[in-house]
Amino acid sequence: MSKVVEISPTTRHEGHSKLVLKVNDAGIIETGNWCSITPVRGVEKLAVGKTPEQVPKIASRVCGICPIAHNLAATEAMEASIKCEIPNDAKMLRHILQLANRLHSIALHNILLLPDYYIPGTETKINPFTAEEPVRTVAKRIQRLREIGQTIGQIAGGDCIHPRNTRVGGMYRNCSEQAKTKMYDLAKEGLVLAHAQSEFMIAVIRSYHKRDFVDVGGMKVPMPKDLGYHNQGYLATHAFYGSSSLDECPSWDINRFKEVRPWDWYMGEMEVSLEEPRYPIGGTTKLGTKVNPQMEACTGIPMYDGQPVEVGPRARLVTYKNYDEKGTVGQNVARQMEYQDCLYEMIDCLDALKTNGKVVADFIPDGDGSLGWASNEAPRGTDVHIARVKDWKVQYFSMLVPTTWNFATCSAALRGAPWQLAEVIMRGYDPCVSCATHMIVLDEDNKVVAQKLIQ
Amino acid sequence: MLYPEIVIAGCGNPLFADDGFGPAVIEEMQNLSLPDNVMIVDAGLGGPHFIFTLLDPEVTKKLIIVDIADFGAEPGSITKLRVEDLPPGAYRDAHSWDLAEPLQRIKDRVDITIIGCQPARVTSPEFELGLSEELQKAIPKTIQVILEIIGVDYGTTIKYLQEERQRGTAKSCGSTETR
Repeated sequence: MSKVVEISPTTRHEGHSKLVLKVNDAGIIETGNWCSITPVRGVEKLAVGKTPEQVPKIASRVCGICPIAHNLAATEAMEASIKCEIPNDAKMLRHILQLANRLHSIALHNILLLPDYYIPGTETKINPFTAEEPVRTVAKRIQRLREIGQTIGQIAGGDCIHPRNTRVGGMYRNCSEQAKTKMYDLAKEGLVLAHAQSEFMIAVIRSYHKRDFVDVGGMKVPMPKDLGYHNQGYLATHAFYGSSSLDECPSWDINRFKEVRPWDWYMGEMEVSLEEPRYPIGGTTKLGTKVNPQMEACTGIPMYDGQPVEVGPRARLVTYKNYDEKGTVGQNVARQMEYQDCLYEMIDCLDALKTNGKVVADFIPDGDGSLGWASNEAPRGTDVHIARVKDWKVQYFSMLVPTTWNFATCSAALRGAPWQLAEVIMRGYDPCVSCATHMIVLDEDNKVVAQKLIQ
Repeated sequence: MLYPEIVIAGCGNPLFADDGFGPAVIEEMQNLSLPDNVMIVDAGLGGPHFIFTLLDPEVTKKLIIVDIADFGAEPGSITKLRVEDLPPGAYRDAHSWDLAEPLQRIKDRVDITIIGCQPARVTSPEFELGLSEELQKAIPKTIQVILEIIGVDYGTTIKYLQEERQRGTAKSCGSTETR
């Protein structure tokens, strides 16, 4: 006899979401629904009629932790629509900015992940804020990596949170030779730390997943070897940056993408029939509470070739580097492997950057209403923005953010896991839920149905 | 170090009307030339993730946060708050990792002042651009308060700057009070 358990809200990620799980007598998930409960805000409507300069600024405000990815993707979608090619040095500055942001993001995610794991060789879980060794050294290293990421981002982007230096047609200004040297020095310092940090993280991640049992709120939970496995496939558009052309990136074709309503994918109304007060942070939802993922889920289900796919670090590694480790362990290890990648790539970009080169295109067209798109490989996965600009006014704008892709994929990955570990699977996706719900939803006939969700 | 001795962070989301007050103050302050040990940051929604958890109390001695706060006054009124006045936060997720929690961690070692402005209209979850008139008028006063805290005397220059932006709405100058 199946029982229903609900974990709401889920913790240690950005935004508000919940997990509704149908479990069997042994507590193994039969059907799992991970849904966003952050209200839909329809940024796309706000963008219509604005200038292409304003829209990236608006797009970067939909989320507290992904402004750089949104800013870059929106700017490049405008450029794709007006058909503006930017100078190479501007491209390099953008690449550096994006990689710096990713470095910070991986380090921040480390802090969110660590409380699940054990100090190797002990039964003690890691508290990233403790002043005791060995965790203190790790915490300091994480902070330094974040600082390095933010400082480089600030130099390349003009501001470390909401970059001021990016503009349609390139960048406002190039950096000085001294600034380039500083970024170079920081990247080299970061590289040493990144190697150490990634080795440490991979060790604790592996030791956690190799355990037979793990502790969740005092409960001894068996750790399946296939935790978080799914067969949904992967989507990535570039090994580290992104693309805005089908010639450059044949793997992302907008015509193969479709977004459907959550009604068809999520479970209908049910009643919570399993309650566990020991579950961390206040226990699970009370017995008898009515849940209805179909109506509560605030996102659409994006599909590529008719199926939800995974985006993120593992998708990038699978697509471009023949990485083949599956499950939550594979996902978290892939993210740590991107640590050094970020910095090596950044150093390459710094080498290629000429500080006396121009960073603004000679001619910036007003746009003829063509559809342009740009994907940016944000830390959490492919962030695609689509725009139509005519006479320097935005006619259409849409954001397809990473976590939206991952909702349905993660829901599939929950199947077969003990319900107590559902959040561990979810955290592997480094979700950013508030981004995921700023979007317009299209049904099968491409009609706008977001109105329903907003009501 | 990324953050210098004095950090001024404008928090909030300009997509929710008056919630954009913090970033608007920072935008205005970018017109001023400030000492090298002062950094102004448009923190947007990223304050906790990008700034408050990254400050080094060895270096940063003063943190000024500009945000909206509901303290039951007339819209546009500004008030100074201490960390103790904020509701307690909890380390649960990066989102509920709101203002209070990382600030509690550093408040004994960094001098933190929060300048809260009473909003007139916060449209969350609906998007709306632009501050309401009362908050627009509160910007110069807020900047003066900040400059006073960091000990920068802009002399008469700041007055001229203010007059320039207040042209046409001269009466509003000084209409907001510090509590």
